[in-house]
Amino acid sequence: MQQEEIHQYLERYFAANDCEILENQPGFLTVQLTIDMDKELMNRPFYWHYLEKTGGIPNPAKLTIITDKNNTPDDVKGEMIHFGAPRLHQIFQSTKKLAGYIRLFEDSKVLQNQQRPLYPWLGVNIKISYQCDRKRDVFRSFGLNMINGGLVENFQDYLQTKRLTPKIPDLCFTLSPIIMPKSGLHRIETFLKQEILDEDHEWAEQARRRWEEDLALLDHFYEDLEEKPESYQIEKEALREQYEPVIKIEIINGGIFYLTQPIVK
Amino acid sequence: MTINIEFDPTWGEELSDRFQKDGPWGNWELYKLAIEMEKHFIIPEFEGLQAPQHLANLKPLPHQLEVAKQVIEKMNGKAILADEVGLGKTIEAGLILKEYMIRKLVKKVLILVPASLVSQWAFELNTKFHIPAVAQKKSYVWDQFDCVVSSIDTAKRSPHREKIYEQNYDLVIIDEAHKLKNHKTKNYEFVQNLKKKFCLLLTATPIQNRIDEIFHLVSLLKPGHLGSQTGFIEKYKSGDRNIKDDKHLNELVNKVMIRNRRADTGIEWTKRHVKTVLIDFNKEERDLYNAIDVLKGNQDYAANVGFTMMTLQREACSSREAVYYTLKNMLKKRENPTPEFEEKIQFLIKKIEAVKQNSKAEKTLELIKEINDKVIIFTEYRATQLYLQWFLKQHGITSVPFRGGFKRGKKDWMKELFQKHTQVLIATEAGGEGINLQFCHHMINFDLPWNPMRLEQRIGRVHRLGQEEDVHIYNFATKNTVEDHILKLLYEKINLFERVIGELDDILTRLEFGKLENHLKDIFQHSNSEGEMKIKMENLTEMIQFAETMKKREEDSLHAAGGNSSIS
Repeated sequence: MQQEEIHQYLERYFAANDCEILENQPGFLTVQLTIDMDKELMNRPFYWHYLEKTGGIPNPAKLTIITDKNNTPDDVKGEMIHFGAPRLHQIFQSTKKLAGYIRLFEDSKVLQNQQRPLYPWLGVNIKISYQCDRKRDVFRSFGLNMINGGLVENFQDYLQTKRLTPKIPDLCFTLSPIIMPKSGLHRIETFLKQEILDEDHEWAEQARRRWEEDLALLDHFYEDLEEKPESYQIEKEALREQYEPVIKIEIINGGIFYLTQPIVK
Repeated sequence: MTINIEFDPTWGEELSDRFQKDGPWGNWELYKLAIEMEKHFIIPEFEGLQAPQHLANLKPLPHQLEVAKQVIEKMNGKAILADEVGLGKTIEAGLILKEYMIRKLVKKVLILVPASLVSQWAFELNTKFHIPAVAQKKSYVWDQFDCVVSSIDTAKRSPHREKIYEQNYDLVIIDEAHKLKNHKTKNYEFVQNLKKKFCLLLTATPIQNRIDEIFHLVSLLKPGHLGSQTGFIEKYKSGDRNIKDDKHLNELVNKVMIRNRRADTGIEWTKRHVKTVLIDFNKEERDLYNAIDVLKGNQDYAANVGFTMMTLQREACSSREAVYYTLKNMLKKRENPTPEFEEKIQFLIKKIEAVKQNSKAEKTLELIKEINDKVIIFTEYRATQLYLQWFLKQHGITSVPFRGGFKRGKKDWMKELFQKHTQVLIATEAGGEGINLQFCHHMINFDLPWNPMRLEQRIGRVHRLGQEEDVHIYNFATKNTVEDHILKLLYEKINLFERVIGELDDILTRLEFGKLENHLKDIFQHSNSEGEMKIKMENLTEMIQFAETMKKREEDSLHAAGGNSSIS
C-alpha cells in the first residue's frame, strides 16, 4: 500500500464513520472523532467510564495523521502512519469489525409506477490460505441466489457496479429466501471444498516430503535409545506443526443483498 | 492426497443470528474498504518477501534480504545465521520474524539473548520492525505477551522454565548461540526441550575449534541432520578434527547455516587504524615482573607452576593490583602453606608495594587527553578495571565500568551513562560481548587476551555496521615481556588487527591442532630460553600463515569452479 493509498483509505474510513475531517492536505489529515470512534480507536475506557458516571461533557479527541512527512509543515504534530504502523493496523481491524455483516437493496431506476420484486442473495468474500511451513492466500467472492441456489463468482465486482442502499427503495418488495443463510453458506462451503480438492497440491506433497525427511533424521538421531526421551516427542510435534499442510477458509465479510436480477453473470 | 480443510464456522453462526434479528448491519463504504484492505494482505505466492514493504524506516542491505529469503524458502525456517560480527544478524532475524508474522505463520515468539542485549533487542524490534516485543521482567510475561525477549539464564530457571514449557512457541530465536556448543550444560538441555517449530540460532563464531561443537549446535536445530550422537562421535573420534576435511559434512552444515563475510557484502567499511603503543616498565614494575621467577621450581605447585607464573606475569603487565589479587587468592586457597611458600608470596607482595606508578595507566591518561573523545578501554582483569577507574578519577576523568556480571538494567544504564555523560568506558573481557558501542571509535587494549577470537569480539563492538567514522585501536604492550612477545611474534605477524572480523576464526579452524591458547601456554611455559620461544612462535605463525594460503587456494578453486559455499 502506497502512502497516497493509505491517505485515501483513512479519508474514506473516517468519512464513513461520520467523523468530520477538519483538515485534509496532501501530507496529513486532521479529524474530529465522534464519541463512538474515540471509544473505538483511542483506547481510553476509563475516561469514558468516568464521564458516563459523572455526567460530564464528552470531549472526543482530534486525531492528526501524517502520511507524508515531507509534505507536512513542521508545526503540525501528529502520528506518522505507514503500512506497518500499529495505528493503521488498528484501523484495519476496526474496519473489518465494523463491516463484517451487511444488508443492502439494489436501487434501480423504475420506469413505470409498478411494484418490483427484489431477489435475495447471500454474498460472501473469502480468504483461502494454503499453509505448511510457508503460506499463500487467494481471495474469492461468491454470490448465492437464496431462491434457486444459483452460485456465481466475483460477486463483489458485480455488486460494485450497482447502486445499493441500506433502505428498501420505494415500490420494491423483497422475496423471502427459500434457502436460509446457514444452509446457503453451507452450499458455498461444499462447493469451495470440492473445488479445492480438485486442485493440484504439489505444494502440500512437497511439504509432506520435507516433513518425512526431517522425521527420518529425527528417528535416526535417537535410534540408539531404547526409550525415547521427551525431547524426541517435542521435536516430533514441532515438525508436525511446521510442515503439516492445511487449507484454511476464512470469511472476510458478507451479507444479504436484495437484487433486481434473479441471475447474474 | 487428503488435506485438512478448515472452514471457519464462527462468521456463519453470527450471520444467522443477525438475519433473525434483522441487524445490526454494516456500512457499504466500510464493507468495501475492508475488502480492499484484505486484498492488500493477501499474499498470492509462497515465495518472496513481504516484510520490506511493511518496514518504511528500515533499509535492509541486499545480503540481509537474501538471508531472510533463503531461510524461509530453502531452509524451512530453521537456520544458523552465522554472518561475521557486525553484518546485522539482528536485522536478518527481525526480517524473518516479521515475514512470518505478516504471513500469520508465527504468533508466539521467544527470543533468548545475553542479558546485556535484552533491552536492545526489544527496543530494536519495536522501533525498527514494529513488533511489540517485551523484555522479560516478571514471570507473568510468558503467557501475557506474544513476543518476549529474555536472557537464557533467567528463562531456564524456575518458575520461568515451567511457564515457558507451557507456551506454544512458533519461533524461537537464540542470540550468541555458540554458547550452546556444550551439550552437557543446563542451557543446552533447556533449549533442547523447547519446542522449536521455526528456530534461528545467531552466532558470529559457529565453529570454533572442535568439530563436535558444530554437531551439538546443529543437533539443537535439526536433530539427526549430522547423524546420531554415537554415530557422529564414532566417525569423528578426535574431537578437534577439522570440519573442512570432510566435504560431505561441510555440505550438510551449509544446508542449515548461512554465513556472510564482510568482503562478500560489497559494503564500504570505515577504516581501522591500528597503533601499537610500547610501554617501558619503570624500575619497580620491572622488579616485580622479574621477581615472579622466584616461584619457579617451587614444589608446592608441581604441575601448575608454569601456568601460575604466566598468569602473574601477564597480570604484572596490567597492574600491580591484578597481581596482588591473584597472590591473595593463592594464599587463601592453600590450607597449610609451607613457610617457604608464604615467604615467597610475602616477597612478591613487598615488590608490589614498591610499585608506585603504573606506566600503562600514565600512558593511557596521556592518550585519552590527546584523543579528547569517547574511549573504550578493555582489560582482562577486574582489579585493573577498578584501579583504572580510580586512577582516571584522580585526574579528573570520569569513567563507567562494564562487566559481564552486571545485571541487565545496570548494563543498559552504564552504556547510557557512557553515551551521554562520561568520556571513558572500562570493560573487562566478559563485558566485551553483546554490547554495541558504535557511537565510540577509539579503543584501547590495555592488555591483550591470548585468545585471538576474544580480540575480534572486542573490535567488533565498535567496528560494525553503523560505525560512520574510522576506528582507532591502540594496543598496549610492555616491552620485553610475554605480552610484548605475543603482540609482536603472533598478533602482528598474522596481521590480526588489520583483518576483517571473522576471517581469523575461519583460518584457525583449519589448523588441526586444537586450541591456539594451549599452544601459546605451552610455548611460554616450556621454552628454556628466549631463543627457543621465538623459534616456536615462528613455527606457530607459519602454521597459521600456511592455513591461510590453503584457505585462499581453496577459495580460488571454488570460485573458478563457480561454486559458492557459504562457510568456506
